Amino acid sequence: MIVEKLSQLLGKENVEFKPDILESFSRDLSFVSPIRPAYVVKVKNLEEVQNLVKIANETQTPLIPVSSGAPHFRGDTVPGTGGAVIVDLSGMKRVIHISRKHRMAMFEPGVTFGELISAVAKEGLRLNIPLAPRRSKSVLGSLLEREPVVMPIYHWDISDPSGCFEITFGNGELFRTGAAAGSGTIEEQWAAGGSQKEAAGPSSASWYRLIQGAQGTMGIVTWGTARCEILPKLEEPYFIGSSNLENITNALHWLVRLRLANECLVLNNVDVAALLANNGTEFQKIKTSLTPWILFFNIAAYDYYPEERIKGQMEDMNGVAKKIGVQAVKTLGKIHANEFLKIIQQPSSEPYWKIRIQGACQDIFFLTIYEKLDELIKTMHEEADKIGFTTTNIGIYLQPIVQGVNCHCEFNLFYNPLNAAETDKVKQLNSIATRSLMEKGAFFSRPYGENTSLIMNRDAATVAALKKVKQITDPKHIMNPGKLCF
Amino acid sequence: MTLNKEQYTAFEDIVGPEYISSDPAILFSYSWRSGLYAPPQDFSPLFEAIILPHTNEEIQAIVKLSNKFKLQFKASSTGWGPYNDATAPGCVKLDLRRMNRIIEINVKNMYAVVEPGVIGTQLQAECMKLGLNCNQNGAGTNCSASPIVGHCGFGHLSQSGSYGERNQLALEWITPEGELVCFGSLGSTGAWFCGDGPGPSLRGAVRGNVVPMGGLGVFTKAATKLYHWPGPTSVELEGVSPSYVPTSIDNHFLIRIYSFPDMEMMDQAQRKIGEAEIAYELMGFNKGMAASNIATSNEEMLKLHAEFSNLLTDFCLMVIIGGYSARDFEYKTKVLNQIAIDTQGKSLTKISDDPEVAAGCMWRWLRPTASIREVFRATGCFAGEVGGTDVFRLMADYIVETAKVKQKMINDKLIFDDGAPPFTQSIEHGHYGHGELLIRYIPNPSNWAGMMDFMAKANEIAIKQHFGVPGHVFSDMQHDIYGPHVMNYHKWLRKIKKSFDPNGASEGSHHITVKE
Amino acid sequence: MGLEEFRDDMTTCCRCSACKFVPLETLKGYDHVNICPSISRFDYRAFSGGGRLGIGVALLDKQLDYSSPKLREIIYNCQMCGACDVSCKYAMDMEVLEPMNAIRSEMVKHGNAPPALDKMITSLKNGGPMLLEGNAGQGEWASKLGVKDYTKQSVQVIYHAGCRTRHDKTRWAVAQQTVKLMQKANIDVGIAMDEPCCGGRAYQMGYQTEAADKARSNMESINKLGAKTLVTGCAECYFAFKVLYDKFGVKGDFEVLHTSEFFNRLVQQGKLKPTKKVNLTVTYHDPCHLGRQGEPYIHWKGQRVPGQLIIFDPPKEFRRGTKGVYEPPRELLQSIPGLKLVEMDRHKEFAWCCGSGGGVIETNPEYALWTATERINEAASTKAEAVVTGCPGCESLFETAIRKNNKNLKVYDIVEILAMATL
Repeated sequence: MIVEKLSQLLGKENVEFKPDILESFSRDLSFVSPIRPAYVVKVKNLEEVQNLVKIANETQTPLIPVSSGAPHFRGDTVPGTGGAVIVDLSGMKRVIHISRKHRMAMFEPGVTFGELISAVAKEGLRLNIPLAPRRSKSVLGSLLEREPVVMPIYHWDISDPSGCFEITFGNGELFRTGAAAGSGTIEEQWAAGGSQKEAAGPSSASWYRLIQGAQGTMGIVTWGTARCEILPKLEEPYFIGSSNLENITNALHWLVRLRLANECLVLNNVDVAALLANNGTEFQKIKTSLTPWILFFNIAAYDYYPEERIKGQMEDMNGVAKKIGVQAVKTLGKIHANEFLKIIQQPSSEPYWKIRIQGACQDIFFLTIYEKLDELIKTMHEEADKIGFTTTNIGIYLQPIVQGVNCHCEFNLFYNPLNAAETDKVKQLNSIATRSLMEKGAFFSRPYGENTSLIMNRDAATVAALKKVKQITDPKHIMNPGKLCF
Repeated sequence: MTLNKEQYTAFEDIVGPEYISSDPAILFSYSWRSGLYAPPQDFSPLFEAIILPHTNEEIQAIVKLSNKFKLQFKASSTGWGPYNDATAPGCVKLDLRRMNRIIEINVKNMYAVVEPGVIGTQLQAECMKLGLNCNQNGAGTNCSASPIVGHCGFGHLSQSGSYGERNQLALEWITPEGELVCFGSLGSTGAWFCGDGPGPSLRGAVRGNVVPMGGLGVFTKAATKLYHWPGPTSVELEGVSPSYVPTSIDNHFLIRIYSFPDMEMMDQAQRKIGEAEIAYELMGFNKGMAASNIATSNEEMLKLHAEFSNLLTDFCLMVIIGGYSARDFEYKTKVLNQIAIDTQGKSLTKISDDPEVAAGCMWRWLRPTASIREVFRATGCFAGEVGGTDVFRLMADYIVETAKVKQKMINDKLIFDDGAPPFTQSIEHGHYGHGELLIRYIPNPSNWAGMMDFMAKANEIAIKQHFGVPGHVFSDMQHDIYGPHVMNYHKWLRKIKKSFDPNGASEGSHHITVKE
Repeated sequence: MGLEEFRDDMTTCCRCSACKFVPLETLKGYDHVNICPSISRFDYRAFSGGGRLGIGVALLDKQLDYSSPKLREIIYNCQMCGACDVSCKYAMDMEVLEPMNAIRSEMVKHGNAPPALDKMITSLKNGGPMLLEGNAGQGEWASKLGVKDYTKQSVQVIYHAGCRTRHDKTRWAVAQQTVKLMQKANIDVGIAMDEPCCGGRAYQMGYQTEAADKARSNMESINKLGAKTLVTGCAECYFAFKVLYDKFGVKGDFEVLHTSEFFNRLVQQGKLKPTKKVNLTVTYHDPCHLGRQGEPYIHWKGQRVPGQLIIFDPPKEFRRGTKGVYEPPRELLQSIPGLKLVEMDRHKEFAWCCGSGGGVIETNPEYALWTATERINEAASTKAEAVVTGCPGCESLFETAIRKNNKNLKVYDIVEILAMATL
């Protein structure tokens, strides 16, 4: 019996099979069909993970690594098959190493944004974080999912700010990616002056890229590193409000291209309201007080002559704004940019902003380029209209990533999960809009949930190649089976 | 072995008679050995045929035929390094020089798409017209502009322009079995802006810090990130080769070479400049490189080297500032000056006080064109570059360690005596570093034996002192040396090779083979 | 020099591809990156400077046989324009063109030069011109000019028209205008009714002995004349008299000038006054043998210093194309009222060849025309109305290329432009 093996390995107290617990892992806020796991196990260290994977291989037991706490949104942690074991890594909460000199941090999967932000801040560093992540979100989980982050100028590559990972592949073998691979132990590398920050390699493969975006299908990551930036000495945030999306994207382009802003993102009035409001009344009030598009950005300065740098960057920024025909302001409606900055530099307050007002939210997100945005937003609105979802209630988040080469476009469909009709409408919209958006050129680089096959099937050659990689790392297909194309 | 008539005709049917040859005169021109890691032998093994394909379809057909005929193939662009060569009979060469189109330059989203035959200079020149720039191989802009075709892609511009592994966006890959795989957004939407996904990124399977060097299929088109170029749309020059002086780089640029009292001060300066985000270029430079770059002949280089030896320590940084505005330039210059004071950096007056020398150097390093002067003019050959990629200081320390071995070679008169100092590349505003060691030698048997000994010792240093895997580890032998100390990565690499190239058709001697 | 003497140069090639491209500092866009017509047209590495050096080593090592038809195709489908040499020497201390000349010489010795060239060499040996076509009478072009025959009368200035001008009626006007301009400036000029061929093209084709013999016999007779200056409007003749003869050790006791240099001096000195407006936008094509190959020969005899550095005893100054004739034609054009000079992307030391040199026009006219077409297209891209140059070989081929490609460009010799403004 596997339960005995698991209990022997991890201790009975760490093997959970109470129905309510199993039930809680059988579904999430996505529309993925619920499947109840057989067990939920809590692991504490690498050794336990390695032994667990070994047992899973011996018993052909599916393993589903989960680092973040509930609520989950995307269906990737919902079992894709029966008899699965949820590997709960949220208890692995060590911040292993922080180096101010090398601007990096190493930490375990259970470390959340709130925890890591304060840990690195003590060393004068900061993380490049997603937009107001939920409190329970694992930093490592976020890195592994290639989530967009709010400081595009420090997002050189789509994998950023990931560094190295320690992973036990599905076949049970341990691997450290990038510079962490060695030679030597991590401690020996530190003693030599090394830092596990360079993600690529070793040599002519970059294993971290194959692990990212895999939704736990390649193996279980037991620590990771993140590239950090230094804490600014001064910051000066601004808004640009506009109803003209082209002006907004022009401003985005130049702010990023000229490295004028750290945090830099665009929200529509719905999403700004969702981020700030505590209740439905506030939500409506904020929403109606704002322009359709709000570009938020933050000018920052570091150790040398910070006042001078801020002043100069502001001058250049104003030059850009003038050329485009927009104006940067400190307040928009009743929202002050400094207050907004504080909000997006931390995890979301509770309840999580996406579910605070209505109770649920379905995200449709993809990558595109600025020129396509207008058409794609129009497509989304047309599909929403068709299905009867009020377009003015759709939140939109535009995040330039990869230093402005890509734009993450996210539609947030806020809804009341207790309202079956509304829920069904969102479910339908999620499906038909994804298809229509793809047809218009939206690139769903991170496919989740029920739309995964639709997305993966468009690129049969990539799927075939990915299956070869999967066969290398997890030949018995024990890692999160049923996800992606595996 | 030579191609039999059936084989030759089959290939000829694909590209036409003009674009295939197995005449010895053609073959020998491709087997003349590279100056990089030049062995004493003049020629590498001959290819069975040289084929000049023009399209993906032609390449796919050639690759599939190679698999069918149990032949190997190796593709290359400008074909500089030894890894472009055959290592044994039975291999056909795909010279991709006819695939030389710039497919797209997208200004607002700052990326470009190129075929392998486009060289760095071409793409940079076109980008500059649009106010953009692209990273360049430090080896020079005579190399391919494709981010996955040049070997590593580190270079002078990496401080602000990163390097190949991280600049790569969408990619067209013809697998060793002849299948076309389009990475990222290209496969799903036909657009080039993203190279990752859906799901895990296949980019990880086809390159790391370095590329598979012809050993894993053919990369026929690739998109690369672009960066802001704060200079003029084209640079006007005065003078005649080899002494050009740019006249139109505007006054928002500044170049300096700083000499520091010791490694610690240089390291501090590198980090401070990085954290302040003021440098368009930042490199650990040395007197040998400076002299070779500036001089237009070896005779002149010797004189400059002697002059610089009295002025520069072994711990120098080359900095170029490019102001995005007059104000930005003023700020960055002020910060640089303060950092130099804080770290006891002394500016080389030959650069700071002579506008012609400064402008010449600046342009040669913004459009890296002098690397051939730097590494090949002295002896015609260059090797021993050993460096890997990690944080700047670790790489600098590694190269300093290996420089001690180099010094022994100098003492033994096996290589050119350029003072042995190392050089190191700062990447992404100081986040990473890449180190190399400049070793120039005449490729005779005793020098070559010395080089091999050096490489062995450099490998030993890297492994025992935990400096990581150098970027220039190629061949089964070297992977087998490093792998056991580095998470057995060689076994994983072989698994990738075997999965995608079960017949071993993509000649992998400089990548890895599927040997058991 | 035999090929063996260039072994060190050839083995210094690091395979960097610089020989294929313009000096990379100069490039301003995607187009016109190529400098070598040969690899641009034939694509295989063998057709580049570096490729030919590798072949040279293989020949020395007897890995390749001189009798190979493919070898002949490779070695002779090259205009010997020297562009590879310039681009290489931007960075390197090594010879490229010289070993290529040596390979051709070996090809001739081994009897594997293209047969089409034999006829010209036979003509040269018999005192005739190096032409496959054109049989206009010797000296007939000057019959109405009242100009001295320097073989009969002493003159200060010898005007050497060159075979391609004398034997092609369409080029006579340039020679006639040259003499008229000199006469207008009161230059004591003479021509030879029975002008000898310079023999320079024989050298490019690999017939080094024949070229040297011709150089010696020419200089023997010209030196006796006591002229101070020899002026020619043919870039290849200029190269022969100025550079090649010097290389052969038969440098004359007189100055060799191209018409562009000579007339530019006269204009600068006020002896010729271009006053008539020439309302043309022109671009100037640098002939290879006037530009990059036109720089003075540098005598050097010595050896490589043993050791780990390529240096020489005595120090060797390399000819890098730096001191070619670039400014005089440009100054002369800029002195013409109304004329606007625009530059092609590839100019001066990195100008693209017209296509006719190295025996290519005789052995592979299709390739010569392809090369010229490339240049004509480049010229057209400048929006110039005309291409001005200083070599009848370039002019003739450009005219053909323009005609075959239905372009509106005109072709002028630089003397024609000066004549428009002055005569």
